[in-house]
Amino acid sequence: MGNESFYQEFEVFSRRTKTSPFQHQFSLLAPNEDIAIVMAQENFMRREPVADIWVVKRDNIRGLNQEERQMVERLDNKDYRLTKGYGYLRKKWRQYEQGMFDEKEILSWAGGQKK
Amino acid sequence: MTADVLLEKDLQAQFEERIARGDKIEADDWMPEEYRLALIKLISMHGISEIMGALPEKEWVPKAPTLYRKLGIMAKVQDEMGHGQLLLRVAEDLIKPLGKNREDLMQDLFAGRLKFHNVFHMATKSWGDAGLIGWLVDGAAIITQTNMLNASYAPYARALQRICAEEVFHAQHGEAIILALAEGTPEQKEMVQDALNRWWEALLFFFGPPSSDTTGSTKQDITIKYKIRINTNEELRQGFLSKYVPRIKSIGLTIPDPTLRFDEETEKWIYQQPNWENFKKIQRNEGPKSQERLKLRRTSYDDNAWVREALSARIG
Amino acid sequence: MTQKYENPVVELLFQLADDDYLFSYRGSEWLGLAPHIEEDVAFSSITQDTMGHATVYYRLLEGLGLGVADTLAHMRPATERKNSILVERPNGEGVYMETPRYDWAYAVARSYIYTTAKKIKIDSLKSSSDQSLAEAAVKISMELYYHLLHWKTWFVQLFNSTEDARNRMTKALEKVIADCGDLFSYGDAATEITNASLIESEQVLLNRWTEYVKPVFETIKVAVPTFGKPERNGRNGEHTKELQDAINTMSEVYRTDLTAAW
Repeated sequence: MGNESFYQEFEVFSRRTKTSPFQHQFSLLAPNEDIAIVMAQENFMRREPVADIWVVKRDNIRGLNQEERQMVERLDNKDYRLTKGYGYLRKKWRQYEQGMFDEKEILSWAGGQKK
Repeated sequence: MTADVLLEKDLQAQFEERIARGDKIEADDWMPEEYRLALIKLISMHGISEIMGALPEKEWVPKAPTLYRKLGIMAKVQDEMGHGQLLLRVAEDLIKPLGKNREDLMQDLFAGRLKFHNVFHMATKSWGDAGLIGWLVDGAAIITQTNMLNASYAPYARALQRICAEEVFHAQHGEAIILALAEGTPEQKEMVQDALNRWWEALLFFFGPPSSDTTGSTKQDITIKYKIRINTNEELRQGFLSKYVPRIKSIGLTIPDPTLRFDEETEKWIYQQPNWENFKKIQRNEGPKSQERLKLRRTSYDDNAWVREALSARIG
Repeated sequence: MTQKYENPVVELLFQLADDDYLFSYRGSEWLGLAPHIEEDVAFSSITQDTMGHATVYYRLLEGLGLGVADTLAHMRPATERKNSILVERPNGEGVYMETPRYDWAYAVARSYIYTTAKKIKIDSLKSSSDQSLAEAAVKISMELYYHLLHWKTWFVQLFNSTEDARNRMTKALEKVIADCGDLFSYGDAATEITNASLIESEQVLLNRWTEYVKPVFETIKVAVPTFGKPERNGRNGEHTKELQDAINTMSEVYRTDLTAAW
């Protein structure tokens, strides 16, 4: 497909809510980005909430090829960067009669502190 | 043997090993020609069938009896076009290395090289047909499509996940129309029974011939080998009968096959074989509405060619 | 000629309902036949939205005791319809059950003009003296932004593309404008409708529309069209034969049994 074609490839991304990340939806064909953007929501998000939309010309996306996809592999030895590696703290805090500030507890602070 | 051939053999072995362990294949991955061609044939036919399938149903869009039904069937036919879009995108990525695009698929359809599903060659004669298509044809489609949800080709599996989610709405849309008619006036009941009588053969055709002995060809073997789908045509048809025969009977409809029964011993449905000669005719685009639908698709495509030309020349 | 309802709210509601209903009916005939698959899907959403808007108005009429919404939509003969001539025109030659030869240039031109006019009306209706009409306008307005953007994009792009496309669009626009005589008209009920402050006057809205579309017409280098005197005024029940044909098709199933549940 040359640049003269009506059928240009666009990848469509959207986020459901204002705080959610952009997610890839699908791809569509359109002659240009202005048409692509007015096609996007009705083609792929007819039944779900949408807060924002991106269309990206596929040529502008650098992906991984089959060989390069090996780069996502890694050993399962990285507990030190996960809370999983620090689970023993729960027991320790218990000795001091304190609760654990785990993910659930910390994220619950999103409700704000007492005024 | 040359080095290239050896390499090809290794790649083939590697590919088969990926399929065997349930790995998913992406569009840009190396794949054997046989796999690519099977996918192109399957998915381009699936996609173009959705686009052609919109035509028999759209006939009833302006005629749907109430505002709610008009909106419902419009949304349903819109989905069919949308499914065509999803599937053609998947097919287009597969034919791209061959230097082809959507334009070529449309031309293949018009030239008779690309077939559309046998069920969409039938006439829709009443509002009952519109309901029956939604209920049973989409019911059959759900059975074939869910069977490929874990297809080894990941882009197809991703498209099918979207499609099957919407098919749930289609099935319920069809059920709603049918139940309203089946619980309605004697004329309305007759409308559904009449639709069922006329569509029964098409529903049996839907899953394709049991084996290549029946009609000379079937692509089921290769799609199973490459884990694109799980079951054979006949297994799918049996599954359809098991799920739908009790429901059809439960609402007071009579299936137009007095020999139909479930054989407890073999655990299989015994049914009157449809006339597979009619199936072969449809495969040659000689079904009841084959040529009309192709003409309609072609006319609208040709009449609108200027739009595509106009915007492809546009800069920016 | 059609009857004039004593209540100007009823009169205006029928005009609004019939406009959106016929416009969406014509849109529904296009389903599956658009020049581009992606566009077919997008176009149908707009058609569904618009039929949804018609339903809102028919339900308000139902609430005012005028009859069931489905009956109002399907069973009123052409002489009782209050839609503008523009929305009843067929999409092109041929009937949709056979081999329709629909004209995309006409679809784009009609949709752009109709939707911009609708926007001007809806904005005015937001301050209607009739509470339920004002509330309906606020709701409907939510979906209009997309419709406007969608049709403006096609309208401008096709006008500004090839010579062939520009010629087709110019011809289509002329055809559309020739039917716009009654687009902003309230027909014989005009005085009652504006006196009741249900919506601003025809002239005020027409001027506002001219200002609204001016920047778009500048980008396509076409003078903003002016609407002539209507040959027929749809608001007074004067219609083309095509409207009755459309009514016959849309009610084909419904009228077989008006008491049945469908």
